[in-house]
Amino acid sequence: MTAQPLWIVIAAYNEATVIAGVIASVRGAGYRVVVVDDGSRDDTANVAESAGAVVMRHPINLGQGAALQTGIEYALAEGAETIVTFDADGQHRISDVAVMTAALAQHKADFALGSRFLGDTLNQPLSRRLTLKAATLFTRLTVGINITDTHNGLRAMTRRGAQSIKLRQNRMAHASEILHQVAQSGLKYIEVPVTIEYSAYSLAKGQKLSDALTILLDLFARRLHR
Amino acid sequence: MIAQISLTALLFAVMLYAYLQYRRSPVVGLLSMLAALVGLYFVWIPAHATKLAEFAGVGRGVDLVLYVWVAISLLVLLNLHLKLRMQMELITTLARSLAIANAREKSGRHVP
Repeated sequence: MTAQPLWIVIAAYNEATVIAGVIASVRGAGYRVVVVDDGSRDDTANVAESAGAVVMRHPINLGQGAALQTGIEYALAEGAETIVTFDADGQHRISDVAVMTAALAQHKADFALGSRFLGDTLNQPLSRRLTLKAATLFTRLTVGINITDTHNGLRAMTRRGAQSIKLRQNRMAHASEILHQVAQSGLKYIEVPVTIEYSAYSLAKGQKLSDALTILLDLFARRLHR
Repeated sequence: MIAQISLTALLFAVMLYAYLQYRRSPVVGLLSMLAALVGLYFVWIPAHATKLAEFAGVGRGVDLVLYVWVAISLLVLLNLHLKLRMQMELITTLARSLAIANAREKSGRHVP
């Protein structure tokens, strides 16, 4: 297989009903896409493969962080020069990928982090907005990275940036961990305005306030061992 | 005296455990070692345990020893939790290797 400059990495868990549409939009824009099926109980892997993605499957459900790391390692092995992480639930716009990769080149940065608060959100409930604001404040205080949207799954990174990322938080705490590693890498990062479009589906799949405690415990436990 | 010797043996076992865990988890190792040393001190000088217990408002010195033991138990539990996390990291590495080795696309061929 020849080296491809840009790969989209999608972590998917029980997304059979929406994954085909997401992959169609990615393939339609001309990008290569790898879907990491994180031990889904539904037909996500087969649907994604039929839609034109390279598909890998975790034999058991490990979490979004683990799935993203698997996808990133695969894309690096395939020679990717730019890697974009993209949510499976259809809340990102594929047109934002080009904006983010252009921003990487323009600013000579290694990470472009999507921000819905600099960009736009459609159909976002107030409770979700407040939860994200609280999470952003917490992450800015603990990680020491000054950005406006810490839990946005749309991120672009250069090959060098991707090589500096090694996610060990399997589940949702990876969103904080990746920012911590971005800060620790010393590489340049920028924020790019993006649009997030919530749907009933993505809201049902998304994080809840009660998950915050689990994330805090994961981050705490991780700091106790090597 | 029998109780003192038994507790001493147990606390030495905790100290050995703390030493072995130190490399993997310095926080747990140090806290376990500290708790065991404090426990040892109070087991052999119970008068000090009683004085400290009175000062801290926990009643008798023997109660203080009991509390130290509970603290050690909680640290051991924390350590078990960390061990489970490390096991999960190994499982993740294995699952990742399997997933990458078996990557496939529509053409039906493997593409690792």
